[in-house]
Amino acid sequence: MLSFLTTLKWTRILSLVTLSSALVLTTACGTKVTRVDSDTVTDLSGNWNDTDSQLVSREMIDDVLSRPWVSQFKRSHNRAPTVIVGEVRNLSHEHINTRTFISDLERELINSGEIEFVASATERGALREERKDQDLNARESTRSAMGNEIGADFMLQGSINTIVDVLKDEQARFYQIDLTLIDMESNRKVWIGQKKIKKTIEKGSWRL
Amino acid sequence: MADSMSLNLLSRILLLQLVLFSLLLQGCATMAQKTANMRNQLASGNYQSALADAKQALQNNPDGVMENMNLGLLYRLSQNYEASNQALEKAKQVIEKLYATSVSEQTGALLLNDELISYQGDRYEQVLIHFYMALNYLELNQLDAARVELLQSQVKLNEWSEPKDDVPVMRYFSGILFEILGEPDAATVSYRKAVDAYKNTQYRHGLSVPLQLKKDLLRSLSAMGMTDELAIYKKQFNLPVPSASLFKTNAELILIIEKGLTPQREQIVFQTWSNELSSVIRVAVPGYPHPSPVLRPSRVQLADNVYTTEMASNIDGMARSSLNENISAITARAIARAVVKKQSERAMAEKSGSLGQIALMAFNMGSEIADTRCWNTLPQQIEIMRVPLEPGKHMLKLQPYPSTGLAASIEIDVKPGERVIVNRRWTSSAGASQYENGRGHINIIPLFPLRIYR
Repeated sequence: MLSFLTTLKWTRILSLVTLSSALVLTTACGTKVTRVDSDTVTDLSGNWNDTDSQLVSREMIDDVLSRPWVSQFKRSHNRAPTVIVGEVRNLSHEHINTRTFISDLERELINSGEIEFVASATERGALREERKDQDLNARESTRSAMGNEIGADFMLQGSINTIVDVLKDEQARFYQIDLTLIDMESNRKVWIGQKKIKKTIEKGSWRL
Repeated sequence: MADSMSLNLLSRILLLQLVLFSLLLQGCATMAQKTANMRNQLASGNYQSALADAKQALQNNPDGVMENMNLGLLYRLSQNYEASNQALEKAKQVIEKLYATSVSEQTGALLLNDELISYQGDRYEQVLIHFYMALNYLELNQLDAARVELLQSQVKLNEWSEPKDDVPVMRYFSGILFEILGEPDAATVSYRKAVDAYKNTQYRHGLSVPLQLKKDLLRSLSAMGMTDELAIYKKQFNLPVPSASLFKTNAELILIIEKGLTPQREQIVFQTWSNELSSVIRVAVPGYPHPSPVLRPSRVQLADNVYTTEMASNIDGMARSSLNENISAITARAIARAVVKKQSERAMAEKSGSLGQIALMAFNMGSEIADTRCWNTLPQQIEIMRVPLEPGKHMLKLQPYPSTGLAASIEIDVKPGERVIVNRRWTSSAGASQYENGRGHINIIPLFPLRIYR
């Protein structure tokens, strides 16, 4: 090791030093932004991303709508079922923004036209405030009356879990997303959906 | 004549080049010197001015792991938990990027000094990021996010899969939190791993398995009905099995006290003989020249009962043993570097005379500094205590340094089954904790939702 180093001439060392300082100066400049379609798969770190969220919500909703509970409910009640999205717990090892996942779910469900949807607990709070305000300030013909809310028939709940197997540079990540649709009146589970995603991630051991 | 003129010119150009490059290095003070003021402010309890220093340091190096870790801890002390998590998360992400070894940095380290290698923290420091982020998320009322941090620390420890790199306090804390989360199985696993971790790493921190942890493991094994394992540990610990029902009906106080300051890595310069050069060379390496003070456990008074805390983490010992493990590689690199530098000085003397040699010597002397970077805002030790509480109001009196008059009184109000986490940091017996008296605790109802009030 030492003998290798001693063969380096000082000129070479100096030019290396200059080169490296030049590198330090040049690497800092320029951010490059490229726009991509929101359906493009962009796997950067291997973490849960928008692609996973969209994939899961789409498949889950396809599944939930193809099951008999919708038609059974329509037959017995003569109307479309009303659903509310409850909590989707993040039990994974990543900080996943479950809100974007929930809004993906809501969008797919509403746009299907098969079911009615009611606002979530936090949204309801704001709406009630507004109605109170209308009661005081809005013209009577335009007021939205209180006490006319539609109660939900079902609640959608779920969780995101992960199993990570890791050794040195290699990682296998297994995501399991569980969703359950529960009858609000009877606590009966009418549908259970499950989606699994598996990824392997390899980290490089050298960089420039 | 003309020949010596051109040589003179050459040496002048070289001199200019060297001066320019030294400017790039932003002076050659060691990191210990650069952060000394921040540490002094922190030690005397001036958290705001320490925070200002840390912000300044981050401006100079926004992607610095050490800068972000320090900023994160200081934001915590200012009770800005969101900003703290942001900084710590940034540190975490940069560490992930730095996973691969950089060829150019390693080469640079051989030519200039070890600070050219991007700092990614020692392994115990990387795990403690998750510890503090979990505590921050508890403060922010995000129990599931705190759980994410526990899992991430597990992934990290599994990735290394080296028993010596385990961080027992992280395992123990995970057990406590899993219990709060209503996952007794995960809690039992964590307590068991914590016991193993204390044993496997004892040479690093000198701690044996805390008595409270032993009780916690026995209690959860018994609650899980794992009788075979319970019998083994009962015999091993020589303890009776604590009653599990006590924790179900009563409330519980979980006390996490952080004390002191982790030791600062400092530069140690020594001279050694190089056979290759037949000359004396000057070498600078990091070290911990001073022993840390011994901090006695804290005294806790609750109604008429007096308790003492147990040390759950000796960060001081972790820091010292971590450097010990690396010091031979660091020293080898420093010696190799000293040889290269001496060689270049001699070559300079041959080619461009004494002026060039002196210039290069000055540059080499200035650029040769030890890598004293470390997460130097960490405490010296972490203490944990758990006590069952009757529901109702309690007055808690803490004396972190029992031999001094320093004390904090905290009034807590608990409902049946609730857990109260009191987490305080004192940086010295002269400083105040980060909260004023009577503030600063988290009330948690196990199995969510989480309730916090101040």
